[in-house]
Amino acid sequence: MSVMKQKQDSNSWYFLDVLTGLRITMKHLLTNLFNRKKMITLNYPEEKYEYSPRFKGNHVLTVKKDGSIRCTACMLCATNCPAECITIKASEHPDAQVEKYPISYEIDILRCVFCGFCEEACPVDAVRLGPEWQTPGLNGANFIYDINHLAYRSNLKGGVQSILDDQDRHKAGI
Amino acid sequence: MLKCTINGVALEVKPGTTIIQAMSENSQKIAHYCWHPGLSIAGVCRLCMVEIQGNPRVQIACNTTITEGMVINNTSDKVKEAVKWGLDFHLINHPLDCPICDQAGECGLQDQYMEYGQYDSEMAEKKQKKHKVVDLGPTVVLDSERCILCSRCVRFTDEVSKTHELGIFNRGDHAEIGTHAGKKLDNKYSLNTVDICPVGALTSKDFRFKQRVWYLKESQTVCNGCSTGCNVKVHYNKEGLFRVKPVYNAEVNGHWMCDEGRDTYKFVNKEARLLKGSKYSNKAWQIDLHSGAVAKETALNLKEAKPEEIGLVLTGQHTVEEYEAIVTAFVNFYKTKNIFHWINNKDSFDTFDGLLLRGDKNPNTKGLLQTLDKYGITSKWTDLEDGLKTKKIKYLVVAGPENTFVYPDLQSKLQLFSQAENFIFLSSARMPALESYAGDNKISLIPLKTYIEKDGTFINAMGLAQKFKKATTVVSEALTLTEAAALITGQNINITETPAENLFIATNKRPDQVQLEHRKKNEFVFNRGRL
Repeated sequence: MSVMKQKQDSNSWYFLDVLTGLRITMKHLLTNLFNRKKMITLNYPEEKYEYSPRFKGNHVLTVKKDGSIRCTACMLCATNCPAECITIKASEHPDAQVEKYPISYEIDILRCVFCGFCEEACPVDAVRLGPEWQTPGLNGANFIYDINHLAYRSNLKGGVQSILDDQDRHKAGI
Repeated sequence: MLKCTINGVALEVKPGTTIIQAMSENSQKIAHYCWHPGLSIAGVCRLCMVEIQGNPRVQIACNTTITEGMVINNTSDKVKEAVKWGLDFHLINHPLDCPICDQAGECGLQDQYMEYGQYDSEMAEKKQKKHKVVDLGPTVVLDSERCILCSRCVRFTDEVSKTHELGIFNRGDHAEIGTHAGKKLDNKYSLNTVDICPVGALTSKDFRFKQRVWYLKESQTVCNGCSTGCNVKVHYNKEGLFRVKPVYNAEVNGHWMCDEGRDTYKFVNKEARLLKGSKYSNKAWQIDLHSGAVAKETALNLKEAKPEEIGLVLTGQHTVEEYEAIVTAFVNFYKTKNIFHWINNKDSFDTFDGLLLRGDKNPNTKGLLQTLDKYGITSKWTDLEDGLKTKKIKYLVVAGPENTFVYPDLQSKLQLFSQAENFIFLSSARMPALESYAGDNKISLIPLKTYIEKDGTFINAMGLAQKFKKATTVVSEALTLTEAAALITGQNINITETPAENLFIATNKRPDQVQLEHRKKNEFVFNRGRL
């Protein structure tokens, strides 16, 4: 909404406002100079801010106890995704108890809006939004993350285990 | 006629009508699993409960015939409670695997649960484990855990296909659907069991895990697998077509369709299609040409030819309207009567298996014959063979089959056709056999649209003309035979654009609503300055 300001006499005397501004600037300069612990800026590449554990960064596909992918390819995440960035191809698993599993699970990370709806839709805790977010790439870098990257990239150290497991579920009679 | 009242609506029904029949004919909702209008009554699911005035308890609607003056009600709390607990018993051993179940999205259990259930299960016992992923035959997979033993599939094999492969084995908790010893569910109608299965117990091997059903749109059309012309719906999305299912039509196919007809989506998808026009001359192929341009060029060639040098071959796979257009083009414009009917499998042409399958694998042979009769065309196939041998026919236009799987003689016929000096092949299917051609004659390939991509009429073996509408476009550059006929005679195609107002019916408009066209155009301008 555009707001038209009326010209008033008090507005044309701006010198006092400049002084108020300078006072704030000087206050921050002096506190930063003499009390560096209170300084709110970071020296970015060397120092990194720690986000809360609920931060929604790049996706992680969780794994079962045996290290295989937990995802059952139900496509609820892809259905729920508002950016339509998830593509899954399902296939028949040799184990009848598992039945369906993804042979390809791709997330177009440039389309993703990190809303976390996929995580919410997942019935088996197979996809989570992890803490990492500093994943730049040069022009032509692969921003379509495939199943191996999502589940087994090196900084996941062999995969994140899901809380739900098929074996546990079957033992519980589900 | 008997008078009765169902849910407050007074109805008149024929004697012998069951309550559920009367309700479904008058589009009243009633929960049911085991009842199917095309099968006998089993009365095992106990879900179609209704309250009948004068009876102390609720009764099943599928096995109760209506008597004079009956007052029936299925919306009362008593009925809803009965359905709810009936559903609870169905779900005692049902696994919670909707995420990996192919039926999810079109499942009877999901629907009824949302309608009547929504309770927390009160079972303390563990769920009974049964067999999963049981291979019943070449087309169907069974998951016994999901089965609710409605016995529809068993009754189908007993009553409709009459092959008696399926049965229910064991008792109580251990009861399971299965095939009799040494038998496989292997008949020509086996996939109907998947359609009628109200849960995800029977799934089709062909469709299994390909798509979730909520990604698919459906559109009604007529099957082009054989001359029966079953009414079907195709399920598709932007990636292509995924499956074909039957639509009820009492005159043609009833509730069913054959397994062969379910494969008719395969030749429509892009992988099997001719996508662009191409030309072969001076021993070299020019590929990726615009189909319209190729068709127009053939018009220039054909105009130089004498009428007796031109020939046209038609298969029974196109619509009546298209035959009319192309036959008129050749008879009236090019003044030729060399029009031939390519019959694919002569021996089995008139066979019929008694249910649906016919030996004539073309949907519109009758339509083609009618058009040929109308224009008084009597030329025989031997005339074509002689004409090609003696080089009398120099320009041959062939409208090839869509469903090349049912044309076993395709290779030999293509060799015959390519004897013509100028061979113009209109085809929707890709022809690898022609691509390796290395002779001296000229060949033009023009992509055609399939039955999914055009409006038209098929006349089936009984002589019934069935109109169908376009479902979707798979190959946008392909031409219909009508368009190709216009281009081949040197005319232009008229592209008529339907305005958006005619495409959509506004359902939310009041009859007295005032139209403010200029205001709709720029809502922002009108609202500026307001808060």
